[in-house]
Amino acid sequence: MTRKLRERIAISGVGCTRFGDLLETPELKGTTIQELTARAVKEALDDAGLTGQDVDAVFAGNAMVHSSQVPGTYSQLSKWTGTQFKAGVHFEAQCSTTNVGAALAAMSIAAGVYDTVLVYGLETTRTKVKGFSPYEREPISHQQTWLWTDMAVNQAYGVPQGYDIFSTYNGLVALGYCRKYGMSIEDFDRSMFELCKTRRLHGSMNPKANIQEKLEDRAKKEGFSDPFDYWRSDKHNPFVAWPSRLLSLVTTADGASAMVITRADLAKGGKSQPVELKGFGINYSDLPWYGEDPTYWEFDRRAIDAAFDMAGIKPTDIDYLHTHDCSHISGICTAEATGYLEPGKGLDAARDGRLRFDGDRPMSTHGGRHAFGHAWGASAGTDTYEAVLQMRGQAGPRQIKKTPEISVIHTHGYAMIGTVVVLGSI
Amino acid sequence: MPNVAEQPSTIRSYYEGLAEGVFRAVTCNACGGYTFPPTGCCEHCGNWDVTPVELSGDATLLLASHNISPACHPRFEKIAPYVYGHIRLKEGPIVQAIVLGVDPTPQALKALFERGPVPVKAETLQMDDLPVLAYRIVG
Repeated sequence: MTRKLRERIAISGVGCTRFGDLLETPELKGTTIQELTARAVKEALDDAGLTGQDVDAVFAGNAMVHSSQVPGTYSQLSKWTGTQFKAGVHFEAQCSTTNVGAALAAMSIAAGVYDTVLVYGLETTRTKVKGFSPYEREPISHQQTWLWTDMAVNQAYGVPQGYDIFSTYNGLVALGYCRKYGMSIEDFDRSMFELCKTRRLHGSMNPKANIQEKLEDRAKKEGFSDPFDYWRSDKHNPFVAWPSRLLSLVTTADGASAMVITRADLAKGGKSQPVELKGFGINYSDLPWYGEDPTYWEFDRRAIDAAFDMAGIKPTDIDYLHTHDCSHISGICTAEATGYLEPGKGLDAARDGRLRFDGDRPMSTHGGRHAFGHAWGASAGTDTYEAVLQMRGQAGPRQIKKTPEISVIHTHGYAMIGTVVVLGSI
Repeated sequence: MPNVAEQPSTIRSYYEGLAEGVFRAVTCNACGGYTFPPTGCCEHCGNWDVTPVELSGDATLLLASHNISPACHPRFEKIAPYVYGHIRLKEGPIVQAIVLGVDPTPQALKALFERGPVPVKAETLQMDDLPVLAYRIVG
């Protein structure tokens, strides 16, 4: 049965901060989490031509409260965002948080409860509160980050018995892909290199990205004349879950994002060009995330089908796609599941440069989770931010030549909630 | 303090079983499906009427990768990096678990990948604070 929104819904404003490290990244160093969030919210509200007092409700997203330490986010952030006395709630869907928030906002507006909802997400995966300081922060160790992050993964059996994100999300999926499609490990490695080059190219063109350095430039700085030799260097790019290497993975970040969701008729004539939120699908699964075939994820299949059905689109309608790419090979499998890339041919497309902003299958033009970086509960909003910029023709040097009319954004909220959002030009 | 009876726990029972080399699951009295590791509800049809069963421990290792060192969880620091595998149980469920009997090196894992699916047998790996499930390559 087709599920439809009973009201046309628009995104009328978007905002996001630079992603990076609150202790060292230019534009972020010394910023508090309150001011970080306010920066993204202000950009979104300004974009929509509204103030915090113009919205009816606020859905405040934050996943890892251990590092942010702002539960009750709606009230703690209300005086920083100008939203005092509004309806609101703190919610999380891990790394799908902000786009699940957009879907919840769309539902509440289509139900007639609200006209305009502010959704924001904030996260600090690199830094945490230092002692009891209201403004000082300190680094989080790698192990501590994953201990806290993995609290979203099966705590009865999975994590206690050695669950490991790197093999489950990367290595085993890679091996399943190679076996299913008869790809050699060497070809896989070369394809991952090309895909990383594309993501880093996109990051180099995005002033808000965590990593703004091309892979080739990094290799040169490290003394490699051939960037593929740099790629294959154990020192610089070790296997983290054979055959997957470090640079095919997420980079952690602190960051915030925001969007204003409203009735489409209210968005028209607003300050900025609105984009329609045409449909969504949200489906989850506990471990294991896949059956015998690691390239097929049932909950993603259901989320994709639900979103496309609600939006009334088919795969050939997609002009721009982002799939969750904490794991580059998993992101390719999902892109194939959407029909944007041909099954078994996704890595060929990466090698041929077709996934670049100037290719015929542009993906993740903000740099994806590797180059743009990943601040769990804030990241989905940055994917939407990028899609909206592309659909408005405002993506600058990384603008897709044919301005996208239909964009599809897929995210994986740990662990796992597959979330698919379909955006359309109005 | 009055004596208060401890309530039964599926999770506690699972780990107590593991400590004795017993691999506990449940089967559904409606659809017959296995839920492993066990819960109080069928993961396939949502039926609450389930029966505890013991698994054979026989399985097939489909794919094997490895983790990093230091491990994401302090419990496994002593054995990291370790091999982590994608496994099909004889009874049907797919599980992922620590694999014993192969080195966590690209060379060894590539040889294993080229060999294809191999039989494995469940065993208990006793960590400092918890018995955990592992599968050892047979032969």
